[in-house]
Amino acid sequence: MADTTTHPVRHAGGVYGRSIVAQIRAITEYPADFWVMASAGVMWNVLQFAFLTVLFAAVPDVAGWRYHEMLMLSGLLTVAAGSTALLCDGIWSTGTYVLKGEIDYRITRPAPVVVQVASSHIGMQGFGEVAFGLVMAVYGWIGAGMGLAAVPAGVLGLACAIVIECALITMLCAVNFWIKGTNSVFAFVMLDLQHNAMTLPLALFPAAVKLVTMFVLPVAFVNFVPVAVLTGHLGPWWLVGPPLAAAASVLAAVGVYRLGLRSYDSSGH
Amino acid sequence: MPILEARNLTKTFRRPDKASGFKGAVKHLAQRKYKNYTAVDGIDLSIEPGESVAYVGPNGAGKSTTVKLLTGILRPSEGTVRVMGRDPHTERIANAHDIGVLFGQRTQLWWDLPVEESLKLLKHMYGVSDADYKARIARFDELLDLGEFMPALARTLSLGQRMRADLACALIHAPKMVYLDEPTIGLDISVKDRLRAFLRELVDDGTTLLLTSHDLADIEEVCERIVVIDKGAVAYDGPITQLKAHYITTKAVKLFLEEAADVPALELKYPQYEWAAGEAPSEVVVTYESARFTTAEVLGGLTAELSPRDLSLSEPSIEDVIRRLYAGELTK
Repeated sequence: MADTTTHPVRHAGGVYGRSIVAQIRAITEYPADFWVMASAGVMWNVLQFAFLTVLFAAVPDVAGWRYHEMLMLSGLLTVAAGSTALLCDGIWSTGTYVLKGEIDYRITRPAPVVVQVASSHIGMQGFGEVAFGLVMAVYGWIGAGMGLAAVPAGVLGLACAIVIECALITMLCAVNFWIKGTNSVFAFVMLDLQHNAMTLPLALFPAAVKLVTMFVLPVAFVNFVPVAVLTGHLGPWWLVGPPLAAAASVLAAVGVYRLGLRSYDSSGH
Repeated sequence: MPILEARNLTKTFRRPDKASGFKGAVKHLAQRKYKNYTAVDGIDLSIEPGESVAYVGPNGAGKSTTVKLLTGILRPSEGTVRVMGRDPHTERIANAHDIGVLFGQRTQLWWDLPVEESLKLLKHMYGVSDADYKARIARFDELLDLGEFMPALARTLSLGQRMRADLACALIHAPKMVYLDEPTIGLDISVKDRLRAFLRELVDDGTTLLLTSHDLADIEEVCERIVVIDKGAVAYDGPITQLKAHYITTKAVKLFLEEAADVPALELKYPQYEWAAGEAPSEVVVTYESARFTTAEVLGGLTAELSPRDLSLSEPSIEDVIRRLYAGELTK
């Protein structure tokens, strides 16, 4: 008999974990792809690192933020974005799955569809991005004179950053249930916004941008808020922001994805 | 109590309404228009536990859409579906434990993994115990020869192997209600035979089956009841034997004579039968109403009179009947 007594969240976690492990096994089928993509993940971020290094050779700070603090800002964002490639890269395929009717089987299985879709692929560039992002963040951390005492807050910020990033991408990819297309344009726009704006201090931007990035699409809680708290640019009470933003983002992502599934109409009818 | 019950099941899709060509495409970008298209139109369907039901219809009749409504993939625009008393769409997870689904045109195998890994992923997803998993895999291996390609990556399988593996995936959790949408599409005759034998065993074991197929041999060999749909509505629903008895009213015998057949003379002598010339001059085909004459009766008289060197007996196939149902030549 089938065991149907496992708690749904635990069951979903088990399905997710096994599926991700299976994807890692599948990666071994394509070793050349792995090395090319992982290297590309490093190279894209080397350019950001080089840009910051060149910039700060000319100026002492940007809106009060120094070189090592800015490295932490970029490093945290890079780790969060790279983690999405490792943890939920399949979610980018939502549009393709919707158009081709490939959600069908997933609906007939006893596990959340969002979990099955998210774990259906691993972006190999994520290995390079996470590795180089960690190097940048740790280098910035040490250079900014951060001690070991701040590590728990840093780990909390990192965990929340990854959750928020995964949740927001999931929510924006779910738009493809309504706007039919293979490209998740809204998620791309968000990543573009992050890479262009969130690698700079939020103080540089007008109030409207601050409001949007904090309360509408809370990308500021991915890297800016935690790094600002750690480096003293914001007060310690701001540290409650990332967990709250993470919880709200997850709820919104699950809700929007469920709504999307309700309007799924498969293909070939 | 039915295991599956659908009442007034209706599904309407919205389709873009645009003119053809480049101009139409550009105009549609600025001025979007849609029109509704009803794929399934008020279908009533009730299936008892253990029944094997063929669900057939011409291309575009709404077969796959119905299966998607019954499995919870799609939400009905109108009407209700209950599978073991549950709404398959809103109670999706609970329903998933009791149903097995196979879409012949798509695979549910993980493309870059060995078949065995896909089955293990599904085992854990459905919460199948180790003992049950082992027993089922052994049975699938016995009936479907899974063992030969269990270690192979899904992307390296032939179509026949892929279909057998997909069938195992659909049944790994021993579902009570199984939906098979074109399970033998594109398969060679030996694989089809093996699959049909497997499906017969499944039905004999008490599994409820809903099968859609364009291959009517699948239906005759596996199912007892047939539902024919056309343009989204039910055109016939009843036992296959009844369909045959109701619509197959004639039989034919081809006689191979020693010399050329004189068809007009035979028509005069045996006006109760229909006569037609065969492919060769010495061949003649006699058609009779099976309700009025037994085959023995017909053959008794004719063989004594004409002394044919050989004969062959045929009756219209279920395929002919369904073709005529599709064409609207037959009524319910």
